[in-house]
Amino acid sequence: MNRKLEVKDLITIGVYTAIYFVVFFMCGMLGYIPVFMLLIPFICPFVAGIPFMLYLTKVDRFGMVTITGLICGIMMFLTGMSWPPIFTGIGFGLLADFILKSGRYQSAGKTVLAYTVFSIWLMGAMLPLYFMRDSYFAAMIPTYGQEYVDILMAYTPAWSFYALTVTAALGGLFGALLGKSVLKKHFIRAGLV
Amino acid sequence: MPRELMQSSPAQGRFSLDPRSKLLLLLTGSTILIAGSPQGIMTYIRPVFVLLPLALLFLSGRSRVAGRFALIYLAALLAEQVLLPLVSGLGGFLLVAVLGILTRFIPSLALGYYMVSTTTVSEFIAAMERMRIPRQVVIPFAVMFRFFPTVLEESRAIGDAMRMRGIGGIRLLKNPLTMLEYRLVPMMMTTVKIGEELSASALTRGLGNPVARTNICRLRFGVVDALLSAMAVAAFACFLTTV
Repeated sequence: MNRKLEVKDLITIGVYTAIYFVVFFMCGMLGYIPVFMLLIPFICPFVAGIPFMLYLTKVDRFGMVTITGLICGIMMFLTGMSWPPIFTGIGFGLLADFILKSGRYQSAGKTVLAYTVFSIWLMGAMLPLYFMRDSYFAAMIPTYGQEYVDILMAYTPAWSFYALTVTAALGGLFGALLGKSVLKKHFIRAGLV
Repeated sequence: MPRELMQSSPAQGRFSLDPRSKLLLLLTGSTILIAGSPQGIMTYIRPVFVLLPLALLFLSGRSRVAGRFALIYLAALLAEQVLLPLVSGLGGFLLVAVLGILTRFIPSLALGYYMVSTTTVSEFIAAMERMRIPRQVVIPFAVMFRFFPTVLEESRAIGDAMRMRGIGGIRLLKNPLTMLEYRLVPMMMTTVKIGEELSASALTRGLGNPVARTNICRLRFGVVDALLSAMAVAAFACFLTTV
């Protein structure tokens, strides 16, 4: 069970990461419609749960999900979403790998948990917005006045970051359950898993 | 957003940068634009990084895209100046969120667009190998880029097939979960099959060999690269002093 990653595994990672990222990215495009912007942390992990649960049935080595996280993070960086996703991708990918390992890559419950945890990686894209929130608003004071900026700050409280994180995790959880049921309905019957 | 993430054939036009300096610019640019404060010395540096992606896109013959990015950015800036003081309540919240994200992300997204639309896959892989990134990362990356077009192509073919059988349109929009199932499941099945075949073929051709691979791409780090990289490093240093 503890063999090293072979080239065959690396190709598997590439194939499934491509499917996952395309689905993820397509859902992310919905964010260009302003109303959907705040729903992105839920929609992306929810829909992408279907390909990812299929991917997890093929994962049987430690490190595969970490590499997927790293690659998705780099892709976010390359498409202009700054670099924190690279680190959240590695971090939450590692956590997911540990969870999978503790279930010996067989436990169904652990795969659901692993995807739920892994989904939080996308919050990396939101991190800079919150870290630099103070400076952003501070720059607005001269133009709009302290009072108005205070009101604006109240609209985007720091706890909304945690709320979004929970939303992402929930999206992951429901996505994992959706993915599992789709797998059962189609892939297991077709003998692909 | 690009239809095809990264091109497989080289772009036309004389102006081109080394992928490594593009990466450096992207790192500096996205950090400064998204997370940087708009005060102090950054008052002068930020506009440079707002204009830079537009100039780069223009120089590489993508003036229409550059124009579109500039238009969205200007509209967001204008809205921030004019609309924000007028609205309050829930509308104000949405507006702050949307405009804040637009003004910070658009220039960075333009830079990202420049990166992926002017770099070929082999150039990028060559650059990664030059930077001594381990093959545990390089190989999945190469496979992934090989697969992006496949996934999109299969997905389009499945859309066509569904339309031919009269599945799709308004009826499915009412039921998004069914639509997801109808589109994703066949796409995943075909793509996974192709993936298995690709894996077998790549292994037969010796991808599993533990030797250093060669690459026909020639990377040149020219004068423009050096200048832009120096600028990026200087800007990053300024950014660090403001943090």
